[in-house]
Amino acid sequence: MLENLKAATFEIFETMFFLFPESSDGHDCLFDGCVLQAWSPVAGSKSFRVGLTVPLPLARKMAANFLGLGEEEVESATLTDILREAATMVAGNFLSREGASAAFRLAPPQSVQFDGETRKWQQHAHYLLFSLDNHNLEVFLERT
Amino acid sequence: MAYNVLIVDDSAAMRMLISKVLDIARFDIGACFEAGNGQEALKILENNWVDIIICDLHMPEMDGAAFLEAMRAHKLWRSIPVVLVTTESREYVVSPLLKHLAQGYIKKPFRPETIRSQLAAILGEAYRPDVRELEGRDF
Repeated sequence: MLENLKAATFEIFETMFFLFPESSDGHDCLFDGCVLQAWSPVAGSKSFRVGLTVPLPLARKMAANFLGLGEEEVESATLTDILREAATMVAGNFLSREGASAAFRLAPPQSVQFDGETRKWQQHAHYLLFSLDNHNLEVFLERT
Repeated sequence: MAYNVLIVDDSAAMRMLISKVLDIARFDIGACFEAGNGQEALKILENNWVDIIICDLHMPEMDGAAFLEAMRAHKLWRSIPVVLVTTESREYVVSPLLKHLAQGYIKKPFRPETIRSQLAAILGEAYRPDVRELEGRDF
C-alpha cells in the first residue's frame, strides 16, 4: 500500500511540479514555521483520506513550478489551491495503482494551515517522509 | 482562425496552467474564458461563442457531468467539442461520458504535450502549428 502511495507521489511531483522527492528514513518529521496541509477525502467501503504536509517555502516552490512563475509572483490563495490539487492527484493516482478506483470516490479536497510554533502537526498512522530541496514533505493516509 | 476556449475547473491554478499550455502550444486563441463550475460555464455559453471546452468533472455546485448533460440539451451548444481533464478514472464514470458527451479525455496528472495533441486531434485540419517552431520549446 505504501509503495503505491510512494509511486503516486513520485509521479505527481515529477510530472506536475518538476520536483524530485527523495525518500527519507527519518522518523522525526519536524516542520519549522508555517506549514500547509491538504488532503482528499476518499469514500467507499472504507473511508480514509490521502494528504500532504509541506512547509510554506516548499508549497511556494511547487506553485511556482506548476504555473511557470517566479516564487515571488505566487499569491497565498494559489498555494492552497495547488496543494489541494496535488492531494487530489496523489489520491487518484494511488487508487489507480491499488486497482481500487472503481470502488472509491474522491470528495472535494480540504486544507489547513498550521503555524509551526503551535506544534499542531502530528504524525499520521500511515505516512511517508520525503526530502526535497532541504525541506521535509509528508504524504499520509489515514482512516476517517 | 482564432478559437474561443472555455476552461471549466474549480481550481483557478489548474485553469491558469491549462491556459498557459494553450499559449505555449501556439494555439490561435481568440478568447480564453474560465469558469469554476458548470453553472458559471453555462452563463458564459449564454453570452459568448465558444469553439472548444476543456472541462474537469469534480466541481462544486454543478459538476462536469451535469454541465455536459445541460450543454448537450441545447441546440446551439451540443456540437461544441469537449475534452475532459480530470483525476476521475473510474471506467463506468468516464466511458459513458466519452460515448455520448465528450470527445477527449486527459487524466491528471498530464504532460502539457498531451493537452496539445488532444486538442490538435479534435480541431483537426483547422489547427496546424508549424512544428519547427515548436521544437525545443519547454513543454
